[in-house]
Amino acid sequence: MKRTSLMTVFLVPVAAVSLSGCGVNSIPTAEEAAKARWADVQAAYQRRANLIPNLVSTVRGAAASEERILTRVTQARADATRVTVSPEQLSDPAAMQRYADAQNRLSASIIPLQRLQEAYPTLQSQANFGTLMSQLESTENRINITIRDYNTAVQSYNTTIRTFPAVIGAKVIYGAKPMATFQATTPNADVAPEVNFDTNTGA
Amino acid sequence: MTLLLSLLLLGGFGCGKAPPIVVDNSGFPALSGRVVDGADLLSPAQEARLSSKSEALEKEVGPQYVVVTLPSLHGRPIGEYGVDLGRHWGIGHRGRNDGLLLIVAPAERKVRIEVGYGLERRVTDPFAARVISEQALPNFKVGRFPEGIEAATDALVNRLRSKSTDAEIRQADGVVT
Repeated sequence: MKRTSLMTVFLVPVAAVSLSGCGVNSIPTAEEAAKARWADVQAAYQRRANLIPNLVSTVRGAAASEERILTRVTQARADATRVTVSPEQLSDPAAMQRYADAQNRLSASIIPLQRLQEAYPTLQSQANFGTLMSQLESTENRINITIRDYNTAVQSYNTTIRTFPAVIGAKVIYGAKPMATFQATTPNADVAPEVNFDTNTGA
Repeated sequence: MTLLLSLLLLGGFGCGKAPPIVVDNSGFPALSGRVVDGADLLSPAQEARLSSKSEALEKEVGPQYVVVTLPSLHGRPIGEYGVDLGRHWGIGHRGRNDGLLLIVAPAERKVRIEVGYGLERRVTDPFAARVISEQALPNFKVGRFPEGIEAATDALVNRLRSKSTDAEIRQADGVVT
């Protein structure tokens, strides 16, 4: 009898410490981490959007007859910059999908633009075009890395809110919902010219 | 009863931290020095010369520069592999993020410059692309790996030693974003 009450006294503080130590507090931490990684994703896409007007005007100078391609890129860029996902919408797969769709359409519209350099040698000889293309390629690599980091952070957050005892905090205190991972088609995976010793393009 | 409860509680609240980012490090070579010549492209004298350039750079300017040659990318894109390798090694100083990696993968015929966030204003995307196309590739294409690595290293180190302001570099390199 005496032993029982002693153990109960001992156990209560342990439980309290554990709960605050790694259960409940880990939810906002993981949530903030995922939101920060999402901000990185949007910043990388924004960087790409910022490059496109310069790229379009450079191409227009050398390949004016390709107006259809340029119009399509400009339109896709305008559409893509209109779609955003707020941190609160990260648990809304439909909002994520709309964002992915808009960015994927822009990715697809850029492909013919990149192919123009083969058809118009004058483009390739323009330093400005090469400079812009190198920034586009780096930006697309950055997009891929930030998406991967975001998805890792989301998986960690989703695991946290589903793991006992954080799940108690998740349900009772935060009403935490799982976040959606982000699936974009790799921008220009088929044409993004990784630098290769064998070729003269893509450097 | 109490014993059972205590076991349950201890088991239940012994919550493990969420696992850290899982990095498959099976393909990562060890960071054995400032030059990690996994593909065996460099002579000991060339390695020593590159190492001392990197060492002087860090001592006098700050950034950490590492050259790595890889026997294989294990089927992964060099851009992704390079970021993971830089993070795995922890190149650059914490808080400054001033690491710089030159990665050469002769088997896949790929080369890449990986720039820490803290150096992006100095080693811009267009500049890195130019170092590859003008210093590295012309040499690599004819099998002159040490010459290409050294020329690229000199260009990168010179840039990091440059007294130009970020704004001047931005304009000279034609940086848009």
